[in-house]
Amino acid sequence: MQISHFLPTKPVPKPLLKNREINARQIAFAAAFLLPAGKLLEVPSILAKHAGGDLLLPAVLHFLIQILVILGVLYAASKSKSPLLERLKSALGKMIYPIYALYALYFFLAAVLPLLDAEKFVYATYFDTAPTLFSFGVFFLFSAFVCTKGIKAVGRCADLCLFLFLIPFLALSFMAITETDFSHLLPFFGTKLSKSLTAFSRTTPHFSDAVLLLPLIANLRYEENDGVKIVSGYGCGALLTLFFLAVFYALFGSLARREHYAFTKIGQYFPALSVVGRIDLLFVYFLSVVLLFYTCLPLQYVTYSICAICKTERKTLTAALLNFALLIFVLFTNRHYNAIYSLISGKLAPVFWLFANLLPLFTLCLPKKTKNGQKLQNEGTMYALNLEKEDNKVKKSSRKGV
Amino acid sequence: MNTLSKSLQDNQATLQKLLPSEDILYYSFKTENGIACLIAYADGVVNKELLGELVARPLSHLNLPINMQNGRTMYEINKKSTSQKDNDGNANKKQSVPKNPLEDTDIAELIKTTLLFPELKTITSFQDGQMEILDGNSLLLVDGVDTGFIVGAKFLPVRAVMEPPTDVTVKGPREGFIEDVKVNMSLLRKRLKTPNLRMETLRVGKQSYTAVTLCWLDGVADEDLKTQIKNKLNEIQIDNVADSSYIAAILSPRKRSVFHTVGTTEKPDLFAAKLSEGRIGILVDGSPIALTLPYILTEDLQSSEDYFVSPFMATVTRLLRCIALLVAILLPAFYVSTQLFKMQLLPLGLTLTIASSIRNLPLSPSLEMFVVLLLLEILKEASIRMPKYVGMSLSVVGALVLGETAVSAGFLSTPAIIIVAFSGICLYTVPNFVETGSILRWLFLLVAGSIGPFGIVLFIAFLLYYLISADAFGTPLLAPFSPLIATDLRDNFVKYNMFSLNKRPVFLNSGNKTRLRTQKTQK
Repeated sequence: MQISHFLPTKPVPKPLLKNREINARQIAFAAAFLLPAGKLLEVPSILAKHAGGDLLLPAVLHFLIQILVILGVLYAASKSKSPLLERLKSALGKMIYPIYALYALYFFLAAVLPLLDAEKFVYATYFDTAPTLFSFGVFFLFSAFVCTKGIKAVGRCADLCLFLFLIPFLALSFMAITETDFSHLLPFFGTKLSKSLTAFSRTTPHFSDAVLLLPLIANLRYEENDGVKIVSGYGCGALLTLFFLAVFYALFGSLARREHYAFTKIGQYFPALSVVGRIDLLFVYFLSVVLLFYTCLPLQYVTYSICAICKTERKTLTAALLNFALLIFVLFTNRHYNAIYSLISGKLAPVFWLFANLLPLFTLCLPKKTKNGQKLQNEGTMYALNLEKEDNKVKKSSRKGV
Repeated sequence: MNTLSKSLQDNQATLQKLLPSEDILYYSFKTENGIACLIAYADGVVNKELLGELVARPLSHLNLPINMQNGRTMYEINKKSTSQKDNDGNANKKQSVPKNPLEDTDIAELIKTTLLFPELKTITSFQDGQMEILDGNSLLLVDGVDTGFIVGAKFLPVRAVMEPPTDVTVKGPREGFIEDVKVNMSLLRKRLKTPNLRMETLRVGKQSYTAVTLCWLDGVADEDLKTQIKNKLNEIQIDNVADSSYIAAILSPRKRSVFHTVGTTEKPDLFAAKLSEGRIGILVDGSPIALTLPYILTEDLQSSEDYFVSPFMATVTRLLRCIALLVAILLPAFYVSTQLFKMQLLPLGLTLTIASSIRNLPLSPSLEMFVVLLLLEILKEASIRMPKYVGMSLSVVGALVLGETAVSAGFLSTPAIIIVAFSGICLYTVPNFVETGSILRWLFLLVAGSIGPFGIVLFIAFLLYYLISADAFGTPLLAPFSPLIATDLRDNFVKYNMFSLNKRPVFLNSGNKTRLRTQKTQK
């Protein structure tokens, strides 16, 4: 509030803050602060296990590929002002439903690894004694709730992740950096290339980020510089992850391969902790809020896809059924964690390549306009078009100096 | 019969039928030429002295030009009336005396000019008259005139304007709203002396007919929002509006939410400041709590005093409030979860101290905390409701006897009492958040006792997701953090200096963006 009252002279047109589904900044924040959360648990130890001191190499390679895919999708999105999804619907007609179904299956698969990671992480970090299996089961209540929310909520969640991710990330990094020895990372290219490639292959599901941004970009009404924002956001996320990987390996050296749930471990050697207690865990808990959001993200996409296929708005039922199925899955497969993990990150890696890196590039083949020219059928798009008109009005009137 | 008739007897009979209550009184008197007049009013809410001096007395000296059956001519009546005006020195001497009987409208006009009352309006229907009488105004009826005169001689028993108990400031204005909406409107007008300040009073409540005044700054507040609120207020079908919280509940888009979605304040300076930011205010008759819309969650962390001290101090106190709020809500839950699931979170020395104090305790940590928290809530509730004179005894019994003996008897542990007491104090650093904070504290305790720190984190994540998807009148509750509005962060946890806050908050969608213009910004 401001006490000084500067009262109006001339009314000016209203800003258009409200009610857009998602904007480029939010996608950029999702790329920068939400997606890296998934790479701070098991990825560092997997990379260290296979690539040793060269763990940054496969990560960089992954990021470069993802950036290329994102650039491709953004280029496709930039060709028209109507959202990519609308153009896709228009171009494919009823063929969109099999694609929805395939992606629903894909996202279901993509949700498994973060879910398994999150489950083990919770048991290891939140409990001194062995908890019951149902302790993690509550997560599915939260997940079901999150799944009922739309794309707009994902965007806002990404905004919030700026604070939720950066504050604990910087605090934990600060705690770790005092104890690090970056010479562990030397010499560069000290590990055989084949091992680095194995690390690259084994971490493919974890780094399949472009596909997680795809539904967000598909709902974006592309404007000038949006591409720069999103790619910069992803670049920022990549740098934060690489920094984390470097700190992690510099801290643990050759022991890094055994240090699971990396971000829970890196702050524990901070000297002050012996006096004040494990305050690093507070930051870990803080960061795990972002991890929970990240774990729910593919599940949200599964819900959207199923709702689109069934042409229903009843997300609650879909979300409840989906999460119940996942709860059962987690309960029954708990003992086969390693087998499932190696199956998904090993044999099923090509599936991730196909859905995350190749299929999204087919958006480049989409026509610039929908079949009916610019006339779009979807209500959301009509709303977007109305906003566009208003935008133009505002621009015109501001040019007049109103 | 809906409209007033010319017969006073008929009108009185109808009114008595419509308002049979004993507190509705009728005062009859006559004009100088014997025409009967009647004032109907509700006893106890009218200034009778004023009514007698400014209504009955002038009328009793008036010769009303009404053609009655007693045979008096219009000429004589008008002559007397004109000469009386001459004596008062107000009359236009050149005006010719009408020879014909006056029109009804002219008679009504004559009565209006005779009454020396600033608040005067005419009505023609019984329904309007009835509502005005019930609202505390008086209805004047004159025989032979089918128009009623509403005299605003309302004199309600109101308390003095004083410092509000919920929002005390050390530096800054100390006035607070009271229960009378007119006084509250005047307190607002005193602070915003601009023609752009608009107030519109609506009547809400089928039985209470409560005045609900919508206040906004024209050109600053969002017009769409104003229309939405007005429509929603007009749609309300409720018997009684006892307090502004009723209106808040009705306006709230999420009826079952723990978080409130309408801002409240008892301070006119704060209310005026919020209006000048672009918000819309609602004053409700009978309530000292004013409502403001749109509302964002961090609003409650701000105090009016933040604007009267240096920005650094304001930032520090805001952060302090934020930390205190987190401590208030999370500390009991955190304590329980560390004891049950994750002892590592505490330093070793503290763990040992706690361990020694909880040894031989018959209750589990969560049950113990539950009992202590319950005691706190009961003591709080009792101290609010009980008579003042017993309050001191309650403090002694509650805090000293109960607490001390429970610990020495080994029923409760000292850390639990310290934690709950500290949590209780911390919660009151944000007075508007007490109810919500109290509920959340219980919920966090429940999840912490069940699944430990993971439950706390999960519940935080749940609340955050709930809040990011919660909008009230198009404004996100977590703005400006989510969606992120960088410029609005200047007056949030961190408070910038006044000159940096030269733009109105973006989330308010104000028609006028600039609120402070200096030479520097003009350049």
